Amino acid sequence: MHHSKKHAFEPKIVAFVCTWCTYAGADLAGTSRLQYPANVRVLKFPCTGRIDPVFILRAFQKGADGVLVSGCHPGDCHYMAGNLHARRRFAAFRTLIEFVGVDLDRLEFSWVSAAEGGKWVEVVTELTNRILTMGPLEEFKALEAEECWSGKLDTPELQEAYNNI
Amino acid sequence: MNKSAQKLDVTPLVDESYCAAATQAIRCEATRLLTEGTVAAVIGYQAGRRKGTAMPTIVSSPEKAAELIFSSACVNNLALYLTKAKKEVRGKGRLAIVAKGCDMRALAGLIAESQVKRDELVIIGVACAGVYASGADRAAPLTNATIARKCRECVVHLPEGADLLAGSLPQQPMLTPLESQELARLEALTPAGRWAFWKEHFSRCVRCMACRQVCPFCYCEQCLCDRNRPQALESTPRPAGNMAWHIVRAMHLAGRCAGCAECERVCPMDIPLNLLNRKMAKELKELYGYEAGLQPQEKGPLAEYKDTDDQSFIK
Amino acid sequence: MSRIGVFICHCGENISRTVDVERVAAAARKLPGVAFAIDYKYMCSDPGQGLVKKVVVEQRLDGVVVAACSPRMHEKTFRNAVKSAGLNPFLCEMANIREHCSWVHEDREEATAKALDIVRLMVERVKKNKALQPITVPITKRSLVIGGGIAGIQAALDIADCGHQVVLVEREPSIGGHMAQLSETFPTLDCSQCIMTPKMVDVANHPNIRLYTYAEVESVDGYIGNFSITIRKKARSVIEEKCTGCGICSTKCPQKKIKSEFDCNLGSRPAIYVPFPQAVPNTPVIDRANCTWFKSGKCGVCAKVCGPGAIDYNQEDELVVEPVGAIVVATGFDLYDIGPKPADSPIDGYGEFGYGTIPDVIDGMTFERLASASGPTGGKIIRPSDGKEPKQVVFIQCVGSRAREKGISYCSKICCMYTAKHTMLYHHKVHDGQAYVFFMDARTPGKNYDEFWRRAVEEEEAVYIRGMVSRLYQKGDKVVVMGSDVLVGVQVEIEADLVVLATAVQARSGADTLAQKLGISYDKYTFYSEAHAKLKPVECATAGIYLAGACQGPKDIPDAVSQASAAAAKVMTLFARDQLEREPIVARVNERTCVACFYCKKVCPYGAVEEKEIRDRQGNLIRVVAYVNPGVCGGCGTCQATCPSKSVELDGYTDEQVMAMIDAL
Repeated sequence: MHHSKKHAFEPKIVAFVCTWCTYAGADLAGTSRLQYPANVRVLKFPCTGRIDPVFILRAFQKGADGVLVSGCHPGDCHYMAGNLHARRRFAAFRTLIEFVGVDLDRLEFSWVSAAEGGKWVEVVTELTNRILTMGPLEEFKALEAEECWSGKLDTPELQEAYNNI
Repeated sequence: MNKSAQKLDVTPLVDESYCAAATQAIRCEATRLLTEGTVAAVIGYQAGRRKGTAMPTIVSSPEKAAELIFSSACVNNLALYLTKAKKEVRGKGRLAIVAKGCDMRALAGLIAESQVKRDELVIIGVACAGVYASGADRAAPLTNATIARKCRECVVHLPEGADLLAGSLPQQPMLTPLESQELARLEALTPAGRWAFWKEHFSRCVRCMACRQVCPFCYCEQCLCDRNRPQALESTPRPAGNMAWHIVRAMHLAGRCAGCAECERVCPMDIPLNLLNRKMAKELKELYGYEAGLQPQEKGPLAEYKDTDDQSFIK
Repeated sequence: MSRIGVFICHCGENISRTVDVERVAAAARKLPGVAFAIDYKYMCSDPGQGLVKKVVVEQRLDGVVVAACSPRMHEKTFRNAVKSAGLNPFLCEMANIREHCSWVHEDREEATAKALDIVRLMVERVKKNKALQPITVPITKRSLVIGGGIAGIQAALDIADCGHQVVLVEREPSIGGHMAQLSETFPTLDCSQCIMTPKMVDVANHPNIRLYTYAEVESVDGYIGNFSITIRKKARSVIEEKCTGCGICSTKCPQKKIKSEFDCNLGSRPAIYVPFPQAVPNTPVIDRANCTWFKSGKCGVCAKVCGPGAIDYNQEDELVVEPVGAIVVATGFDLYDIGPKPADSPIDGYGEFGYGTIPDVIDGMTFERLASASGPTGGKIIRPSDGKEPKQVVFIQCVGSRAREKGISYCSKICCMYTAKHTMLYHHKVHDGQAYVFFMDARTPGKNYDEFWRRAVEEEEAVYIRGMVSRLYQKGDKVVVMGSDVLVGVQVEIEADLVVLATAVQARSGADTLAQKLGISYDKYTFYSEAHAKLKPVECATAGIYLAGACQGPKDIPDAVSQASAAAAKVMTLFARDQLEREPIVARVNERTCVACFYCKKVCPYGAVEEKEIRDRQGNLIRVVAYVNPGVCGGCGTCQATCPSKSVELDGYTDEQVMAMIDAL
């Protein structure tokens, strides 16, 4: 299989979206034949309230270079408040992973309604282009490849114990 | 480092009378509660075998109440004993528990999370001037050099909402807030710098799970990280799984952590875990004006919302 | 090993133009667990669906991925197809390679690679899908209506006319609510009693309506289709079954000077009374706080004069349990009645308007009673202080409403219209009188509403002054009204004989308590919240509970009646089926690992999470766990994302399914 890749690096973008607003918005982009980069893979949830931060973390671990979480605008949630719970949860989570050293430019949150096909295209295109200039997310990949303790044997005792193994 | 600072380092922060007064008050109350039969047992501290040390104990007869003590070596957060460590003491009747300020915050959280009922508990609060850092020599007095990092910037020397307060707080000098300084230093780094910092620390993690076992809030019967269908987190101590575990742990404690820093104290690999907790507490306070365990809260910051919550980060 | 079938649709050329469907099919065949993959021109066509059904059977498939259009388009189609082939419909998923792929990408290579990725993700997901059974909930086809005002009456009558039983609960001794107090109604000026009382009588006579007046909802258990309502029938001291409504008790009652609540304290009533002559039921109630018998143990006149022996001084509150399947809440509103600010109220009062201190400053409802032909003055407009006919009347709009600084920012909606009506009624009765109205805006949307208002201004000579009143004070027997006319830019001072305040519509006091019993939500003014501001305006978030009338927000009569009929229609829709069937996308608790922190309960927008006690055979409590009522659960999954131990799983979107997809990225 020969790919006609446009770029040396094709970012892997994962989008976690709610079914009622953003998924429908992405459908609208389709029915309107709007064009956007093919890098995004969409995972559908009933509501952004269902999206566990663990999923975002796991997506990064499994090779995502960028993650998008998108749902209904406040007040539009099919389940009334799932997106508002999610808003707090993700506000907390993003500060946490930023503190751990993940560049927040790789994690995008948006409200895209079922009528905002254009906004979906905009958000996805912008994120893809941004990741393209940032390059691959090496940190998690490198971590995944590491097998054991990366710390140095920095005391004589440890060094000696190691030599005796 | 100038000389006066050097001198300050060895000035004892508390004197004998402070501990004696708190000890006396705890014994007195414990004896009364046990004699009257108000409680089935008192969870507190007793002296350890080595000089100056202390360890948790559960006292169920008035005679034994005289063994209870309080000192700067009483590091443990006893709230833990209500949720899992000694679950068998629950169900025997009402319990009394000795609680420092940070322990009290944990108790408040556990009450809000329906793990403990307030009316089944007599809380003997202690005015706490700080406890030893892990590894500090208990035989030497508590000083600027030996006090735990969390205590340097403690805001809950006096527990709020306890049934009584044992002891009184000695005059306290201002201590350098090392943990906040470290937090600020990390925040000022680039993401890559912070990643390097945490990677180094987390890579050391041996996944002994002591941090989980000692945390009063990790009371789940089945921890997310022990689950295997699906396996949410890699369970072997590889760097990738370690990173994920510590992120998930911090996230699960966000808005709940009482700041007792027991996780950091028991960590055999000296991973500065409380930095993560402190960071989350700081952010949630800034975002939602919430501080865990300081006032009776029914829900907690991540289980409620306001229409006006910040969403500047959302497109 | 799974046996999954992958069906790739060309959608004519819609997909195959940009996606190399044959290549996707060939690649899909090589995916682990895929037993069969094929592409076809129109998968949703009859032959296409036939193909799916045939392969499901022949290949003994245990999962199906249809790579075609959006699941929003054809998920139902294909799930029904596999169902008819004997496979559980929830083992079929759609891979959206049209809206999310072929239509939005031009490059054939890229689109094909992406389509294959999408198929692969869905294959991994389907492997973890579980067969789900639709959830059915039995329905008790009886309805509770709370509140016997015009909204409650309308809802009750509509449901009852449809053949279903209705339990109507009213707090006061009679149904009728605020509408029964009104004199005439806008925009037609027909008499309120004339159009209201026949409906009240209909309620009383309807074979399908069980009426509880002087009663309140004590507690609510259960969920949609299966509520159990405990109703507290307050002690009336009159045995309803025996009372004939002759009224001799009221006539003979020596206590005659009790202020009549119905007449806004203008008239008086005895201690044993019906609130107004047309009350339904026409059964009196003893006001125990003011009855001589209850105060001193002496008197007993009513018992002596009552022929049928209906008086029972020892009657006690009675609790009745009624099973119902749906609830209509129509508890109505209160009028703002705060003079000076009470210490515990978030709302500032209108002490500066002399409300409650100057006798000739009254509210709109009091004016209604004055103007009512059946009111305490027989319809003669006189002022409360000295009984004189007022020659200058000042009406002040927006008292309480639209005053953020006072604590209420909303518009009460009805005041512009009823004030216009008041000026007309006044003009009709006091021909030489002059009405002034201080107003911020005249808000008159509604059929024939603006015409009505213009009539008040242009034909009935009401003087409208745009501006607010700053102060009122008593001067001799006049009330001086100081305000500003912002259009002219001058200060205005009017010496009025009577001042009428158009006070704000507020939620019923105690609305929050009832909401907690019902498990429904309310806004910061304690008006009940609808499930969706636009598309579900009568449903509550809690399934099976519907809203009618001003308990949801200020409404005039036509709006309240419309909403009541809409709520009734919702109830009838529910009752049209014998059992409620719903998609089994609901949360389920793993009771083995649940530690009862109840974070799920805290975040559930539906109140679907209950505390369940687990007991041993002897009945000893072992522990408490969370339980999700599948009849109530809306299926958002917020509980699962919040649960620390992941002891609650949303069927159809389990962690296993999600993570299988993430791992396949």
